[in-house]
Amino acid sequence: MFKNLNVWLLASLLVSIGVLIPIFTVFFSFFEDTSSYYQILKDTFLFEYIFNSVTLLISVLILTFLIGVTSAYLVSFYKFPLSDFFKWALILSFAVPPYIYAYSLTAFFENYGTAFTILTNLFGEGEYNRNIPKFDGLFGAVLSLSFSLYAYVYILSRASFLYQSQNLIDLGRNLGFSKFKSFHTLILPAARPAIVAGLSLVAMETLAEFGAVDFFSINTLTTGIYNSWIAFDDLAFSNRLSFFLLIFIFACFIIENFSRKKAKYHFNSRGGFKQKEKITLSGNRSFFAFTFCFIIFFLSFLFPLSQMLYWTIKFPENLFDINIISLTLNTIYLVTLSSLTLILLSLVSNYGNRVSKSKILNFLSTISISGYAIPGIILAVAFITFIAWFDENIVKTLGFLSIKKVFIGSVLGLVLVYFVRFYSLAFNGIKSGYEKINISVDESSYLLGYSKQKTFLNIHVPFLRNSLLFVFILISLEIIRELPITLILRPFNFETFATTAYISASEDLLEAAAVPSLFLILIATVFIMFTSKYILREK
Amino acid sequence: MKNNFLEIKGVDFTIGGKTKVENASFVIENEGETLCILGPSGIGKTTILRTIAGLEKIEKGTINLNGKLLSSKDQNIEPENRNISLAFQDNSLFPHYTVEKNILLGAERNKEKTKKKITFEEIIDLLDISKILKKYPHEISAGEAQRASLARSLLTQPDLLLLDEPLSNVDQSFKEEIQVRLKKILSKLKITTIIVTHDSYEAFYLGNKCAIILDGQIKQFDDPYNVYHFPNSVEVVNFLNRGILIPAKVTGENSLESKDLGTIKGNFIKHYPKGSDVQLLLQPEDLEHDDKSNLKLEVVDRKFRGTNFIYTLKTNSDLLIPVFVHSHHEHQHETDEKFGIKRPINIDHIVCF
Repeated sequence: MFKNLNVWLLASLLVSIGVLIPIFTVFFSFFEDTSSYYQILKDTFLFEYIFNSVTLLISVLILTFLIGVTSAYLVSFYKFPLSDFFKWALILSFAVPPYIYAYSLTAFFENYGTAFTILTNLFGEGEYNRNIPKFDGLFGAVLSLSFSLYAYVYILSRASFLYQSQNLIDLGRNLGFSKFKSFHTLILPAARPAIVAGLSLVAMETLAEFGAVDFFSINTLTTGIYNSWIAFDDLAFSNRLSFFLLIFIFACFIIENFSRKKAKYHFNSRGGFKQKEKITLSGNRSFFAFTFCFIIFFLSFLFPLSQMLYWTIKFPENLFDINIISLTLNTIYLVTLSSLTLILLSLVSNYGNRVSKSKILNFLSTISISGYAIPGIILAVAFITFIAWFDENIVKTLGFLSIKKVFIGSVLGLVLVYFVRFYSLAFNGIKSGYEKINISVDESSYLLGYSKQKTFLNIHVPFLRNSLLFVFILISLEIIRELPITLILRPFNFETFATTAYISASEDLLEAAAVPSLFLILIATVFIMFTSKYILREK
Repeated sequence: MKNNFLEIKGVDFTIGGKTKVENASFVIENEGETLCILGPSGIGKTTILRTIAGLEKIEKGTINLNGKLLSSKDQNIEPENRNISLAFQDNSLFPHYTVEKNILLGAERNKEKTKKKITFEEIIDLLDISKILKKYPHEISAGEAQRASLARSLLTQPDLLLLDEPLSNVDQSFKEEIQVRLKKILSKLKITTIIVTHDSYEAFYLGNKCAIILDGQIKQFDDPYNVYHFPNSVEVVNFLNRGILIPAKVTGENSLESKDLGTIKGNFIKHYPKGSDVQLLLQPEDLEHDDKSNLKLEVVDRKFRGTNFIYTLKTNSDLLIPVFVHSHHEHQHETDEKFGIKRPINIDHIVCF
């Protein structure tokens, strides 16, 4: 049994087990006793939590499907004014997290908000507040989440449309199908796995969303978890709610995995693949395609960006109220530390999987990447639960000093939980790079006299350079936008752009939230522009 | 007692838990010799190479190279420490390096070598790949990638070179020329080589010895001439697809009687008692065309093969016999015509089963 044990296998096993600890903690905590709060809540709000979560989920799924698939179809099959620009502009919505979208929506439509100011400037003073619609509550949350998350559906649908052979379209024409019939009988079914995969990601993010729903004061399972811990100090109950939420999320996760496996059959580009020729639109059709894409681009990116920019300019004093340098340094510190740890250990883990060919390790790796499906808030609570248990039952029993302070409310704890949350991004990103390296390349290297270490350093790492850069940017983007983990686990007085925006917004100081939100959007936009080459690659 | 250069003794060649070739034993006696392994697809030829290279382990038997134990149940020298080079059938070039850099990686290993060296330039010239040196593996054809991979392997000047279908993707027009060059360089550098191929002519040309693998066993291990002319089993005959087996009765020390062809004379390579019923191997070159002969058979097919035709003739017992005829012969026969066979039939060496 120990014959095949080597340093790579051991390191990979440790990484996988480390990632799995908080995930298992949630499941084990389900059986612990909770305070009377559980009983009260069960009789009163639990149904509301579930109802709101499900309503939010279904609404966001419908809206992201409509926006994502339509825009992907238009830019993949047709040429119209600025279609090449929209191709990448439509992914910029990733730069605007749902909570910042929520702030923008409120800021624009609230009484005496931006819409009111515009109307006053245009038409003079009037009772406009009564006629300006209020996008708040559940509806506001649906819009915020949809415009922020539709890009998942857009990217995956577009990739699928792109890989559909011209033969498929020619076949439709040959059978005398109209464009609409070709779309719903041939193109859409062929892209179904990719669309389902995109929608599953949207579902996971929606169920995990904390910032926007908290801002609109909607009681969902996520806010329930936060409140039961923060307001009622009932960690066990937080875990119990997390368990319910995880069941929902794992269902999405399984659907997503299932769809991806199927998707492989659709992305076969060998034999018979013919690059698609885009159709140039003219007249009304061209105008419609342009208008649709522009509206989506405007609503998802330009609107929140300009709202935040407008307020930053309107209330310049807020620029000096926050320490931008300190926030930037904190962000760089977190991003660098977390990304490097993630990349380094994911590399080791991937290489361990590759050389050991161990089935146990493969299984552990597969379940350890489920961390991405688990909401940050659950991971943070599970981490605290585990550290508290470990401190009480192991550390103190052995007579050592408490380790709570080392892990809770420290950068170390924050990095560890980021690690669990984003491990799948790093692991899968590097894995997809590794899949391009044929195993005979490794074998050739051994036969040229290179050891495993030398093969790793001289052959794999240089080859994976681009994948590593991509993973680094992707993780950085996620950490910059991340809110609940940072909020719960950050050290005292340690703020990021996301937490500063959240704190200002939760104190009803939306105009003060504009500055960190604007910086966050701008930094995220730069990162997206770097990654767009990979996300939108056509070969 | 003189040691064999490579010695495989009682090895089960296994991949993914499945035994492909069982209890195999063979040797390469002297350094610099070439062994060609022939066999149908999926039979385990590549597994043999991978195992000798150290990429697969063995549970039974031993592999020794130059007196040193490489593999056994309890010992396995890692591939990087064997100084054995394997050129894979598929492109195994490092995708992020140019062809030149890929090949030069092979040179790193032969730096310390004291034996006669081959230079980078010589290799490039030999395999005619100077035009692709600055390209990346994805920018070259499969045949070019194979030649680049071969160049890298040759440049390492290993103790044992393993080539897995080295020229399978090379254009037919260029293949023979490369074979000639390869043979010359292997002989010049005295590199001991094992070549896996499905092309029997390539094997017969390049190999000092040939091994035929069928049904999970080494069926025949011999000189190319012997493998070709004296196949040792019906399976080898069928695999090489070199002729047909016809029923005959041994009538004397040097003769047989066939119901369809009459008396056949020649030298038996194995003794059979008079009166034995045997299956005689009849190869296309064993029969001669003669329009004046009274032994006439019906032509059922004629294949043009450049330098010759292969006629397929039907006997009275419905046996289909192939016959070679030079393509410049005067009287060509069409399908359904009669075709004369020279009598008496004399076969240089008679192979029976």
